[in-house]
Amino acid sequence: MMLLAAVAVPIVVGLWLATAGRPLSRRAALDVALIAALAAAGLLAAALLTDSTLDLPWISRLGISLALGIDGISAPLLVLTAAIGVLVVVLARSHTPEGGSPATYLGAVLIATGGTLATFAARDAILFFLAFELVLIPVWVLIHRFGDRHDEAARRDAGLRFVLFTVTGSVLMLVGILALVTSTGTSSLDELVVAGADLPRGTQTLIAVLLVAGLAIKVPVFPLHTWLPAAHTTAPTGGSVILAAVLLKMGTYGLVRLPFASVPDGFARVAPTLAVLGVIGILWGGLICLVEVEAKRLIAYSSVAHMGFVVLGLASGTAVGVQAALIGNIAHGVISALLFVVIGGLKERWGAVRFDAPLPALREHAPHLGFVLILGLAAGLGLPGLAGFWGEVMAVYGAWSTHGRLFQACAALAALGAVLAAAYALRVARLLWVGEASAPVAPVADAETRGAERLVLVVLVAAIVAIGIAPHLVWSVTAVDVAAVVNR
Amino acid sequence: MKVSIDWLTLLPVLAPALGALLVLLVDAALPKARLLHLGVTLAALGAGIGVAGWWAAFGGTAGTLCLDSSPGTCLYVAPASASILQIAALAAAAIVVLMLLGDGRDDEISGGPAVAAALVLAATAGATGVVAAQDLGTWLVTLELATLPMIALVALAGRRTSTHGALTLLVTSVLSFALLALGVALWMIATGSPVFATSGTGLSWESDAHLTVLIAAALVLMAGLGFKLSLVPFHAWTPVTYTSAAVPVTLALATISKIAALGALIPVVQTVASVAGAYAPGASVVAVDPRAGVVVAALAGLALVSMLLGNVAALRQIDPVRLLAWSAIGQAGWVVLPLVALDPSGSDAASGYLAAYVVATTVAFVVVHLVHGPVTVGAPERARELSHTGGLARNHLWLGGLLALALLSLAGLPPGVIGLVAKVAVLQPVIAAGLWPLAVVAVLGAVLGVAVYLRWVAILLGIGRSTQPLQRMPGSRLALTLAAAVLVVTSILPSLIFR
Repeated sequence: MMLLAAVAVPIVVGLWLATAGRPLSRRAALDVALIAALAAAGLLAAALLTDSTLDLPWISRLGISLALGIDGISAPLLVLTAAIGVLVVVLARSHTPEGGSPATYLGAVLIATGGTLATFAARDAILFFLAFELVLIPVWVLIHRFGDRHDEAARRDAGLRFVLFTVTGSVLMLVGILALVTSTGTSSLDELVVAGADLPRGTQTLIAVLLVAGLAIKVPVFPLHTWLPAAHTTAPTGGSVILAAVLLKMGTYGLVRLPFASVPDGFARVAPTLAVLGVIGILWGGLICLVEVEAKRLIAYSSVAHMGFVVLGLASGTAVGVQAALIGNIAHGVISALLFVVIGGLKERWGAVRFDAPLPALREHAPHLGFVLILGLAAGLGLPGLAGFWGEVMAVYGAWSTHGRLFQACAALAALGAVLAAAYALRVARLLWVGEASAPVAPVADAETRGAERLVLVVLVAAIVAIGIAPHLVWSVTAVDVAAVVNR
Repeated sequence: MKVSIDWLTLLPVLAPALGALLVLLVDAALPKARLLHLGVTLAALGAGIGVAGWWAAFGGTAGTLCLDSSPGTCLYVAPASASILQIAALAAAAIVVLMLLGDGRDDEISGGPAVAAALVLAATAGATGVVAAQDLGTWLVTLELATLPMIALVALAGRRTSTHGALTLLVTSVLSFALLALGVALWMIATGSPVFATSGTGLSWESDAHLTVLIAAALVLMAGLGFKLSLVPFHAWTPVTYTSAAVPVTLALATISKIAALGALIPVVQTVASVAGAYAPGASVVAVDPRAGVVVAALAGLALVSMLLGNVAALRQIDPVRLLAWSAIGQAGWVVLPLVALDPSGSDAASGYLAAYVVATTVAFVVVHLVHGPVTVGAPERARELSHTGGLARNHLWLGGLLALALLSLAGLPPGVIGLVAKVAVLQPVIAAGLWPLAVVAVLGAVLGVAVYLRWVAILLGIGRSTQPLQRMPGSRLALTLAAAVLVVTSILPSLIFR
């Protein structure tokens, strides 16, 4: 019940805020949303400690039950989601995007958080799909209503593109899930691990293709990533943080949970393609980041590259690779959240952050923010001691250790991609931090971070350093369940 | 031949039929007593809902009019999914009558309140009857009983365009009836029995040629019913008639008529399935007799083309009612799709999807009616545009919020959970039957549908023009409250529909 409450509280409070609570003042709405987000985090912590589970029949005709539970694979993602939910609500204290009432904005944030928690906690394959869809409309509202005020057509386009791409993916995934469920006769994720593996190889391959194709849009895997840059560029800062830190993880989590765990033979046949596409994503994202001029778009493409590493690790099918994917997920969540808070905050204060226009040097005008930016970039390029390192190195190692020619080639190219990451990270640092873009200019508005935003950044920096120094914080949680899935 | 009759079980059909008579009698004694008519009508519909609800909740399969000569053969059989369709038809009729009679004005439909109420009740009796009818005679009569009053209701709107709309519907109905009559004749030749095989008679075959005739009969019947379900290519009347009728009547067309048509289609498909042997557990549709495969292919073609074309056309519409008309065509594709599985779970999924559609589309139509107000007979028509609902979710929170919820249900996106569960329910039997390529094409239909409805939701959330002041329409407001309550409750507990 504790877990159900952790999922239900943000959804119910969010729905209330977005409808009846809309006339609330900004301050009151912020307080209500913060209480709800903290309550969700607290309830989740309690659920983790008590190992809370739930299994209620819901729509017996379709075999859907309200089955919620936590295991090692979902626990880190649940914690990440609850924490990001709190941080985004706190962030709204320093800046609430225009476009509607603050209560609507916070309501959408809470529903998206609750929907993501439900996705990670679901232990029923069809319930997983329903929760997956629950996130769509609130995030669409965040982009469509609260996105960049300068360009209404771009906002509409980005919002619609996000929804249509994601719906395509999720309905394809639904076809895969239903194929899996009808051929095994169960929709429980725990039973599917056993029942799915016994299916004939042809059926497994078909199911794996449908599931991987659907989930690859959400991850996103090259060449299905084209919705992501548009969505990130227009979304408000909080929306970008939710999108990058939490939403994309639903895709990789789904890949681990459904095709990888349930139809191993089928996934093994899809894996080489997935690995190659992941590596193309790493290189493609890296190359675009070398020339992209819009800062939020650049971070979005770097997300494509980072998710490429996650996908590569997963496709390798080794325990190390899957561990790399899971820690890479968490690390990318924290790092991209940090970068989007920095760049999004600057964009909100300056109106735009473009590298083809004169930029003030952050090291002079905003030393604190500058430091955080450098730390985020360093973590993003995989510097040892910071969060990004482990996911990338182990993904490459995992792919190399398969001893397959193709995977080893992928590993080598992925390592090359890590070099690209260093190059574009230094490019951003040079232009934005050193201020070499052109003749130095004074910022149009105050650049330094303060207030709630500063608090959010401190927490994210602490998380990046903590995961970088002590990766076993995540590994110790995931190890048992990953081993159970890989070695059967 | 002796027939045993359980009158109480028949109440979902008898109550609206008797209600129609009663309304006309009351009208003869006390003309213009609008509220009395409303009360009688709602009481009749409520009695029907009560009995059908009892059967759906506790009773299992309702059966009566059983023949003593051949045990096990009943001419009225309503399994739980049929009872739910009956409830949906009766409840939709209650909403329609509340909108027509409850707003305190007689002038939206000429002919007076009693005529309107009696026509709606008669059509409802036809719909609840055909859902459970097991013999071809009752099947054909009740199906036409569900259609003919609709033509009158459309014509009574008394607008310039409504005559055109009614004429279109009349021509369509006559064509449809001709096909149905031909189909019934072929069916009799093939089976030699006036009873559908689902009622337990089974079919005995004199020769293999009979099966071919049966398949031909099924195809002709499907074409006739395709008109009533507005499946492409039998859909052309839909946008014309929907936009020319008064909005409550359009709602009746979109709900009561659709329920009648699906209720009529299900026994046809199930008979073909039982003949083809697809009822054998685990049998895949792909493995059945190739002639039954023709029926599967026809159903799949109708479903997918309707789904795609209906949604593509809906993308371009400006008039909200016309958009809902094209969306009804697209949704009809989803309703028919699960029938390709040729098994009872497919029929149940189709019934469940239609019930979910009825709930959501009712809310949408009632909100449109409230926003645009009734059009008086003879008054010049105001153009309806989507932009008139601009910013509705900001200016009239509940009106706009409920319309958004209804549209999201139609699109199949949470928080409209019932619409999403309905799509899961439709795809499940299709995939279980091994027809996953159809499901992959349906993905495209789902995405197009999302684009259609989200376009309108964006207008609702947008700045938009301020809407004209809402008129006092107590009946429609009550109707909206009831329909919205059902939408919200079924979204939380979809098992109320998917039993």
